[in-house]
Amino acid sequence: MQNESRIDPKIIEEILKFSKNVIDAPKLVAAPDEINLEVTPHEVVQEIDKTRLLHYKPIIETKHKTPLLISYALINRFHILDIHPQKSWVRNLLEQGFEVYMLDWGTPTSMDKYLDFDDYVNGYLDSSVEYIKNQSSTEKISLQGYCTGATIATAYAALHPESVKNYIATAPVIDGWKDTTVISNLAKHMDVDKMVDTIGNMPPEFMYYCFSVLKPFEQGIEKYVKFFKNIDDKKYVDNFLRVEKWLGDTPPIPGELFKQWIKDIYQENLLIQNKMYVGEELIDLKKIDMPMLTQVAVGDHLVSPECSMPLHYAVGSEDKTLKIYPTGHVGMIASSLSQKKVLPEMGTWLSERS
Amino acid sequence: MQSKSSKNSTESPKEMTEYYKHLSLFWTDIIHLMSSKPQALTSIGPMRAFAANSKKIAVELIEINEDLVGFNQYITEYYKQLSNTWGIAQKKVNLKSPKIPQDVEQIEAMKRIWIDIFDNDFTELFDSKKFGNNYGSLVSKELELTKHWNNITNVILQSVNLPSKEEIDEVYKEIHSLKKRVSKLELALKKEKRKNAK
Repeated sequence: MQNESRIDPKIIEEILKFSKNVIDAPKLVAAPDEINLEVTPHEVVQEIDKTRLLHYKPIIETKHKTPLLISYALINRFHILDIHPQKSWVRNLLEQGFEVYMLDWGTPTSMDKYLDFDDYVNGYLDSSVEYIKNQSSTEKISLQGYCTGATIATAYAALHPESVKNYIATAPVIDGWKDTTVISNLAKHMDVDKMVDTIGNMPPEFMYYCFSVLKPFEQGIEKYVKFFKNIDDKKYVDNFLRVEKWLGDTPPIPGELFKQWIKDIYQENLLIQNKMYVGEELIDLKKIDMPMLTQVAVGDHLVSPECSMPLHYAVGSEDKTLKIYPTGHVGMIASSLSQKKVLPEMGTWLSERS
Repeated sequence: MQSKSSKNSTESPKEMTEYYKHLSLFWTDIIHLMSSKPQALTSIGPMRAFAANSKKIAVELIEINEDLVGFNQYITEYYKQLSNTWGIAQKKVNLKSPKIPQDVEQIEAMKRIWIDIFDNDFTELFDSKKFGNNYGSLVSKELELTKHWNNITNVILQSVNLPSKEEIDEVYKEIHSLKKRVSKLELALKKEKRKNAK
């Protein structure tokens, strides 16, 4: 009884306030479904199978001759690079005077289970590059790859160096054996042949499980507590819902592509050893000889810096830069740090070479 | 051959499953053989197909039971690992937190300690070989169960004259191969055109 009487009344007040916030939440904020994630105006200039090539409308007059094509990751969708006007990667690049294209991989269905690395690298990505070269009357483009999109872009830069003027690898998945994340541990113990033979494409539910084991208490509980606590803060809530909507929308990954990705990158680690094949062609990272910028985040718990950095040392480029940022996987591309530091530095690097 | 039913009651669950598998196969085989004899004339074709399908489904159901035993073993181990980690993490939290929080700041600090310790301990678990091995085996068993379900569905599909999963996959593979060839030709043509235009 003595202890009970010492409880701070503020604790009760906090609990009551929190309960009120939970009740009021539906009145105050939009449902994730009602939020539009495609912020920056663009047009679809090419569609092949389920993929779409997006061309963003310039905000200012284009200052640089070489257009930039972004190869987004296979997990979740490209919206994270254009999540909010104030945090949009794409918008920032447009404001710096770059011409920006984005390759949206779309949503594969059961019919697409046989799509492999060759289709993505020498099919969809090469067709997009070809389209841009035609439109801009240039012989080379700048290429940026993010996360697993950078694995595809790296393979492309090694196989088609004649088409890539500059290559930017942002948190690339390269050296699976050095990856220290939980994802890599699960990938290494997976019977991927059985998975693909039995269920075809890698289902989104599997990815949701992988997300759930990353900082499970911070991400699974505390994040939502903070959301309800800050329900009156419009900016916070808007940003939270946009990122949540993005996190909860991951397409399936074509079975054959997923199989090769898990085996060649995480289990046998062939890419960094120059032993990985795409179609019938061997990927030799030394053939990446164009100027290259590697961006890595110290706090990346999806692709650890140890997994990304070996690319910087493995390529044949003489003009290469490695940038390490004090942030996480998403923080590097959709945060105030990315707007204030990552993008301006990338813009300067790119403009000097475009 | 010694009749399996004469074995004593000390049989293991695996032996029991084998026995019931044998029993089921015996009767479905006998029915199937009987249906191919002259008396089958009255049952036309579909009844024979029914007997054959029943046998396939029975085999799949028995094997599902076998795989369920393995699945249960791995899922028990999965939750055991989670629960052990929880117990250890909670003990660490107990050592660092006051019995009854006195104010809002103390609650916040305690929550932070709880989250940090739990996240660290669980990440360590998810990152361990022990967890990876068991999780891999668990998913593998889950896939075995799915495979049996696919096989049962295939039998049903074929009984109503529809293509099986394998047959549909063959079509997908063929379409993929054709599309790939066409796309490569189209792309090569575009590249050639651009070269010539230059």
